Amino acid sequence: MDIVSAKYQNTAYQTGEPVITISKLKKQFGKNKVLDEFDLTLHKGESIVVLGRSGAGKSVLIKCVIGLMQADSGIIDVLGKDITTFNHHELDKMRMRVGFLFQSNALYDSMTIRENLEFPMRRHLTNISAKESEERIIEALTNVGLAHTVDMMPAELSGGMQKRIALARTLILKPEIILYDEPTTGLDPITGKEISTLIVEIQEKYQTSSIIISHDMKCVKTTADRVAVLLNGKCHAIDTYDMLEKSEDTLVKQFFE
Amino acid sequence: MAKQTVNNIKLGLFVIVGLVLLVISLYLIGKNSSFFGSNIQLKARFHNVNGLVEGNNVRFSGIQAGTVKKINIIDDTTIEVTMQVKKSLKPFIHKNALANIGNEGLMGNKVINIIPNDEPAPVIDDNDLLTTKQRANTDEIFQTLSSTNNNLQDISHDLAITVRRINNSQGIWKLFNDTSISTYVNHSLKNIDNAAAQVNDMAKVLNNITIDMQHGKGTAGVLFSDEKSGTDLKTAISHINNASKEADELISKLNKLTEQTQNDLDHGHGIAHDILKDSLEAKKLKNSLSNIEKGTAAFSEDMEALKHNFLTRHYFKEERRKKKRKANSQDSQ
Amino acid sequence: MKIPGPGEEFLNETGAIARFTGSFVRETVSPRYEIKEFIRQCYLIGYKSLPLIGLTGFIMGLVLTMQLRPTMISYGVEAKLPAMVSLSIVREIGPVISALIFAGKIGSSIGAQLGSMRVTEQIDAMDVSGTNPMKFLVVTRVLAATLMLPILSILSDTISLYGSFLGVNIRSHMSVHLFINQVFSILNFTDILPSIIKTFFFGFAIGIVGCYKGYYSKNGTEGVGHSANSAVVLSSVIVFILDLLAVQITDLLGYN
Repeated sequence: MDIVSAKYQNTAYQTGEPVITISKLKKQFGKNKVLDEFDLTLHKGESIVVLGRSGAGKSVLIKCVIGLMQADSGIIDVLGKDITTFNHHELDKMRMRVGFLFQSNALYDSMTIRENLEFPMRRHLTNISAKESEERIIEALTNVGLAHTVDMMPAELSGGMQKRIALARTLILKPEIILYDEPTTGLDPITGKEISTLIVEIQEKYQTSSIIISHDMKCVKTTADRVAVLLNGKCHAIDTYDMLEKSEDTLVKQFFE
Repeated sequence: MAKQTVNNIKLGLFVIVGLVLLVISLYLIGKNSSFFGSNIQLKARFHNVNGLVEGNNVRFSGIQAGTVKKINIIDDTTIEVTMQVKKSLKPFIHKNALANIGNEGLMGNKVINIIPNDEPAPVIDDNDLLTTKQRANTDEIFQTLSSTNNNLQDISHDLAITVRRINNSQGIWKLFNDTSISTYVNHSLKNIDNAAAQVNDMAKVLNNITIDMQHGKGTAGVLFSDEKSGTDLKTAISHINNASKEADELISKLNKLTEQTQNDLDHGHGIAHDILKDSLEAKKLKNSLSNIEKGTAAFSEDMEALKHNFLTRHYFKEERRKKKRKANSQDSQ
Repeated sequence: MKIPGPGEEFLNETGAIARFTGSFVRETVSPRYEIKEFIRQCYLIGYKSLPLIGLTGFIMGLVLTMQLRPTMISYGVEAKLPAMVSLSIVREIGPVISALIFAGKIGSSIGAQLGSMRVTEQIDAMDVSGTNPMKFLVVTRVLAATLMLPILSILSDTISLYGSFLGVNIRSHMSVHLFINQVFSILNFTDILPSIIKTFFFGFAIGIVGCYKGYYSKNGTEGVGHSANSAVVLSSVIVFILDLLAVQITDLLGYN
């Protein structure tokens, strides 16, 4: 099946209700303005890839969305609530519905795969039964095709497998929105492609909306409904991959060469 | 999960062993300072606690009995010390026990010693006040010792000078070396003793005489006290004087006579010569001589009569008695 | 206000540690309480350090006894050897040596652990997984270090005294009973309690410094090594500074 063609079918969701609305987001480190009045809207079922150069503030953007970083100003509306004013408890509640895949996987290397997957469940869903927990773990691992690794330690797995485990851990809480921080970086092209395909499959299966940070154009092409170009702290352009590829804008063009 | 449980057990063991050790050590220390266990309180008042502090040990006859709990100043000369003493020692401490402040060793901590008294007394009660015995503290001992030392030093200094002088004096050494001196001294001492005894006698006699005199007794007493008999005595004595003068003249005349007679005899003339040559003359001389004899006998009779005179009788009697006594005493010696 | 480089860095670091300590206190008192993780850390930090600290304590007790012995004999107070050694062990050597070994083992491991977790975004991952990493990582470790070091110190003192007992018995003979009597005749509450109280502060300082250094680790894997190293150095220095403060405070309070 042609995944790309499936993506085009997804464009219908562009008109769905917005799940994340970012407006006039500002974040600066010292005198370096990383985000300067950045605006973005993510609709339900949509996946947006944010393109940008290294150090352009792509990661900062999604870390602000998940509440790992505090924005200087601006509004981040996630699922109808402005998270910039959230306290820790409210953030935790929001994070049950928003998953985050870290660039470096962030698997707890002192724990087995099972414990890694258990961890967010136990934290968020304190009254979950052992049986349900085990079922969810197996389901998540089956989704990423690594059910046999359940009792291994993260260090025993390859980079691609670790990435998939990390994705499984993100999925285990069945989030409505998933934020991917450079999912294919540091992987070989074949593994990168596998991961990109996996992201799309998951998107299909769980009807999630996602923001994907990447500069791997293959990944971008595979996963993106729309592509936003982050330049000088602003959303320079936002459109489908094909439209941007045809764009005359030199600043946009350089990403597609 | 099983591993987790095992780990928890290990941790529990670790923590409990640590805490038990802590509790045991605290208990052992507490036992020493009688923090735990039942105690009674005793009090004692001192003038000076010599640096006793709270927590110092209390000993009963040398046994660790408790600690000093509190030190209060009652007034400027009284300090009340409250002690915690083991209850187990209560039956052995009597009300008349003495408390004093001592040292653990010469330089050690201060300690309160409770000293039992030999006299019988009832057993002590909680909060009783013990009698105290202020013992000389080390400072005082040292002060006294120091002044004693100073005196000793002075004395030894003086002694040294004296000994040096004795050493240097030749006279004393001569004296010490001469053995005859002691016999001399012995003799003189004996003489002195005798003399003293005689002096003693004399003094006694004199004493008697003076006593008699004072009481108007005896001849001398009468002589001195009675004016009339005094004049009588005077005349008597002058009579005697005259008589003896006459006797004197007589004797000198006799002397002359004998001389002449001798001369006459030698030269063949004079009476003596005549007498010796002439038997008649010799007869005459014989008569004269018998006359003289008669004359002296008469004098003797006169004197005897004087003796028996009531005035002088006493005196002569006394004289006689004395002579007799002296003779007796010399005999007895 | 411009302060020359090293001074500024020093002040900056001091302020940051103080702020970190403040947020530690806040996170400690407010729920939720990560009791399970705390117990796990107690096991790792306390129980797992016992062999090392016990060994050093044993050797210190033995060596100290053997070193002091000739001097004690020359003063004619050989009988006071247990008292002398126990006093130095309980008051100073036990707590400080334990704390230094603890700083070396635990300070560096906390620094390296949290440093690598920071660098590989595990700390962020926890945050996202509905876990406050301050509570889950920092509070549990600091509390475990604070509470475990005193226990380790007590055990180490005991093992040291055992070493000392063996040391006494190498050259002469002394019964266990007499040894214990000697030790506890000289020890007082004012010897044991201040030294135990100060180990709480030592443990707290080691935990806080290790966590701070790890939690704010930077510059990738190189930063992790730096965190571990500087955690040990700084916490060892702080142990000595606290020891100095402790002796002055007990002196002021008249418990010395």
